Amino acid sequence: MGFIFNGVTTTKLLLQEEQIIAGLRAKDRKTTEYLYEKYSRALYAVISRIITDQDIAEEVFHDSFIKITRKIDSYEESKGRLYTWMANICRNSAIDKTRSKELSQSAKTNTIDDFVYGLESQSGTMDHVDGIGVKELMNQLNDDQKFIIEYIYFKGYTHSEVSEEFDIPLGTVKSRVRAAIQVLKKNLDKI
Amino acid sequence: MDIQSYIASGKLELFLLGELNEREREEVLALASKYPEIQKELDALEETLFSFDQKTGPVPSSKVKDKIFASLEGEFKAAETPKARVTEAKVVSISPWKSFAAAASIVAVLASAAAIFYATKYYEKDQQFTALLQEQSVMADNLNQVKFEYEQKDVLVEKLVSGDFKRVQLKVGGLEIQKDAEVDVFWDKSAQEVFVAVNNLNELSDEYDYQLWAIGSTGPIGIGLVNSGHKLTLQQMNSVSEAGVFAITIEPKGGSQKPTLDKLVVIGDVT
Repeated sequence: MGFIFNGVTTTKLLLQEEQIIAGLRAKDRKTTEYLYEKYSRALYAVISRIITDQDIAEEVFHDSFIKITRKIDSYEESKGRLYTWMANICRNSAIDKTRSKELSQSAKTNTIDDFVYGLESQSGTMDHVDGIGVKELMNQLNDDQKFIIEYIYFKGYTHSEVSEEFDIPLGTVKSRVRAAIQVLKKNLDKI
Repeated sequence: MDIQSYIASGKLELFLLGELNEREREEVLALASKYPEIQKELDALEETLFSFDQKTGPVPSSKVKDKIFASLEGEFKAAETPKARVTEAKVVSISPWKSFAAAASIVAVLASAAAIFYATKYYEKDQQFTALLQEQSVMADNLNQVKFEYEQKDVLVEKLVSGDFKRVQLKVGGLEIQKDAEVDVFWDKSAQEVFVAVNNLNELSDEYDYQLWAIGSTGPIGIGLVNSGHKLTLQQMNSVSEAGVFAITIEPKGGSQKPTLDKLVVIGDVT
C-alpha cells in the first residue's frame, strides 16, 4: 500500500476513511499505525469507562483492536461509519468481559465518580486526561441525564435494560440519552 | 415524515451505540440516505461521541500498543514482501516435504519388511490350512464310509433279528477239493432272503469265482458269487423261495448257468 504514503510522514497525513479501510484490508502496517494513533485513545475510553482495572481494560482493548484489523473485511461501509463500527466492537467486548465470571465486581466501574477518580489517580502517563475537565463536563448534566450516562456509558447497560430495571419508559430513556449527548456536545469544546 | 421529531426521538443515538436491532438499523440507514438532514445529524452525533471518547479517556499504555503490533507483525510481513512470502512459502513447503519423504521412506521400508514377513507366514499357514482341509476331507469320506457300512450292518442285524433265518452249514463234500472249507448259509424262507458267511475258503486265482447254488425241485439255481476274502461277514445273495440243498462250486470268472459238479467245494442240506 505504498501509494498511500509515498514517503510522507504518517502522523502529519490525514487519511480519508475509505483509504484507511483499504489500507487495513491490505494489512498495511502504516495504515494500521495511523488507525492506532487516531482512534486508540477514544476506543480505549469506551472500554476503560466500563472496566476500571487497567490491566483487564488493556487486555480487552488489545483483543478488540486485533479483532478490528482482522474483521475489517466484514465491515460494510453502507452500514455506518468506521468509528461507530469500531466503538461498538470495543463496547461489546467490554460488556462481555464484565458479564464473564472471571471479572470481579471491583474491576467494574460503578459510577462516573469512580471513573474520574481513576483518571485523576492515574499517573505516569504523560498524556493523561484532565480528570477535573471530565468532572466539570459531567456536572453540566442534570441528574436524569447523569443517571442515563452513568448506566449506559459507564455500566454497560443497554437502554432497554435501564428501562426495565428502573421502570423508566423506553421513550423517556431514549430522549434522555439524546438530551445528555446534546449537553456533552455543547460542552466538549471546554475541555 | 417529520424529520425533526425523528431526530429528537433519540433513535440515532441508539443506532450509534449499537443498540438497534437489524430492522431498526436498516430503517435509520434508509432514512439517512433519503434525508440529508438525518445523515447530517448522524455524522454530527458520531463526531460528538468520538470526541467525547477521545477527550475523556486515558491514553492506553505503550505496552499495549507494542503488544498489539507484535500480534499483528505476522500479517504485516506477509502483506509487505511478496518475495519473502514466496521464499517463506518455499521453506514452509520444502522442509515438511523432505521430512515427510524421509518419514515416508522409513515407513515404506518397515511396511515392506512387515509385508514380506507376513506374506511368508501367510503362505505357510495357507499350506497348512490346505493340508488340514484335505485331511479333513479324507476323514469325512472315511466317516461316510463307516456310516454307510454301519447302516448296512444295522439293516442286516435288524433283518437277522426280526427275520426267521435258518442256518445251513455247508461242509466239504466227497470231492475234498478243499478239506478245511466251511461256509454257513442263512435263509429266511418266507422272506426269500439268503446270506452267506464264509468261515473258511481258499483264495482263487483271477480266472475263477465261487458260486452259490440253491438246489430245489426245479434243479440248481445260481444265486450269486461268494467273495472268499470277506470272512466272517454276511454277504447277501439273490432271493430263493424253494431249496432243499445249498452248494458252492468253483466256476469260471463271473459264474455259470449250470454248476460244474466236479468242482463242488461245500454242500449242505436244509433240515
